[in-house]
Amino acid sequence: MKLFTKYNRINLLTTIIIFVLSATAFYFVIRYILLNQVDNDLMIEEGEIETYALEHKELPEPIPVKGQRISYTLSDKDLKKRQFATDHLAGEKDSYRVLRFKITVKENTYIATVAKSLQSTDDLTMSILLISLATIFVIMAASLIINRVVLKRLWQPFYRSLDILKNFRVDKKQTLDFPSTQIDEFEFMNQTIQKTTNQAQQEYSLLKEFTENASHEMQTPLAIIRSKLDLLIQDENLSEDQSKTMQSAYSAIEKLSRLNQSLLLLAKIENNQYAETTRINLMDKITEKLNAFHELWHNQNISVSSSLKDVSVDLNSELTDILLNNLLSNATRHNFAGGSIKIILKEKELEISNSSLEKELNSQKMFLRFFSQDKQSRYNGLGLSIIKRISDVSGCSLRYNFTGNKHRFTLSW
Amino acid sequence: MKVLVIEDEKELSDSICTYLANEQFVCERTFDFGSSMEKILLYDYACIVLDVNLPGGSGLDILKELKNQNKTDGVLIISARNSLDDKVFALKTGADDYLTKPFHLPELAARVNAIIRRKSFDGKNEITCNELKLDLGQKNVRVNDNPVDLTKKEYELLLYFISNKNRVISKNAIAEHLWGDNMDVADSYDFIYTHIKNLRKKLLQAGAADYIKSVYGMGYKFSV
Repeated sequence: MKLFTKYNRINLLTTIIIFVLSATAFYFVIRYILLNQVDNDLMIEEGEIETYALEHKELPEPIPVKGQRISYTLSDKDLKKRQFATDHLAGEKDSYRVLRFKITVKENTYIATVAKSLQSTDDLTMSILLISLATIFVIMAASLIINRVVLKRLWQPFYRSLDILKNFRVDKKQTLDFPSTQIDEFEFMNQTIQKTTNQAQQEYSLLKEFTENASHEMQTPLAIIRSKLDLLIQDENLSEDQSKTMQSAYSAIEKLSRLNQSLLLLAKIENNQYAETTRINLMDKITEKLNAFHELWHNQNISVSSSLKDVSVDLNSELTDILLNNLLSNATRHNFAGGSIKIILKEKELEISNSSLEKELNSQKMFLRFFSQDKQSRYNGLGLSIIKRISDVSGCSLRYNFTGNKHRFTLSW
Repeated sequence: MKVLVIEDEKELSDSICTYLANEQFVCERTFDFGSSMEKILLYDYACIVLDVNLPGGSGLDILKELKNQNKTDGVLIISARNSLDDKVFALKTGADDYLTKPFHLPELAARVNAIIRRKSFDGKNEITCNELKLDLGQKNVRVNDNPVDLTKKEYELLLYFISNKNRVISKNAIAEHLWGDNMDVADSYDFIYTHIKNLRKKLLQAGAADYIKSVYGMGYKFSV
């Protein structure tokens, strides 16, 4: 729910409740005041009748006046006090305010009834009520419009900040530039966001630097270990067991240096060290790769079919090399003797599919670093995340699907 | 032939010299910028193995100084930095080759050999090893003047072996030499086995001796 809507709802609801309550109270107060007025009139009438009766020793003849009726009834009942009532009189449409009081003339006790029509009073109450209702509606409508128009405008800086924030990437070297606003809260928010994002960027670049430095620092010890192993195996007196141990050490070092290289590569990609692009003829590049892989495929009895269009794309040449190597290496490694690889280069996409004995990859996790379907894998689980990262920074999209026991990667630009 | 190894990491420098030192090479070593500068100005070397990051300065400045002095020493840069820019820059400055750490010693030896060959036999690009004769320009091989039909990889393999005569080369080093850094299939040693089997068969058929020996499944040795 939008803040507007929520606010409007609460606002409207309370306004309505307040207005209904106040209108009700208003109604009763007005009615009370008006009835008092009528009662006063009736009492004046009572006074007049009593004065007349005292002077003339008889009851005044009831003169029919519009909206006023006077009648007397002989009664033995003792009416101690005057009584007011609002009543409907027989044969009358409107309600009347009635005053009954005792009057004694020539030893006879009468109950005099003076009634005044309440029609004008009701009319007045009604019109006051109507006016106040109309006011409610006008006020509500006005506040709705004000909320919509004014609040929307007031919130504008907030949405602008959001838009700017939406484009924020922690790995991009950009400082967020918020337009200044006159609203303190928004200004405060902008400052806070700016501070936080700057800090995030700083931390991120420190982390990147650390990864790159760590990988760099590891190269030399790795080089030493490798060179020592290369020397060690020159020993003519190595036993078969020792040779096997050496082989394990070799493989582990190999894995470690590959891992290190991959991490370094990822760190460099993140550091935008491959931002430079040139126009690359993909057909030539792929043909070159096909030649390089040819013997490998031939030895493994993998049949390769390709259909290449003459397409040129703006890419970084080193990254393209790595990308193609990784894609083709993957298609080879996860293949089997007698399997197949298919490469299709079209105007807008490159599709590489391969047969495999392995089941479908988990498309949610396959591009995560160090994710591999089976834990015993010989591979470090960085290959696919490198492919993904390269296609991301090159502005390409990478899709994976699995049909008919074939893994297919499609790169489109 | 004298080779100068300029590398501040003493252990690595030790390994390189131990591996290179044979009947052909005499190895000298320096560990920092200043003493390296002195050495290169005083003496001539067949090849200089040059680390880029040195205490006291950059290896690339040593390279520039060499070129300023019009020295013809071959230079192989060894560096932990593997970006294309670094390589291109080093080669443009006048380095003969560029090798990224961590490397295999046989790879280094092969590169040093190649540089020295290029420097010393200008024009006549041939290696002879007993009855084997490799024409580096044409990239073909003859055994007692009979041509042997080798694939590209088999030829590269033979050249690699000859550059590392009488040394055990691990399968990992062979894989990396044949498939390079980027091709992530190097851990499939079956390919190497197939290549070596074919190479050996072809050489034997052409009348050469059986030079290539397997060493406990760990690697191979080209014994002359």
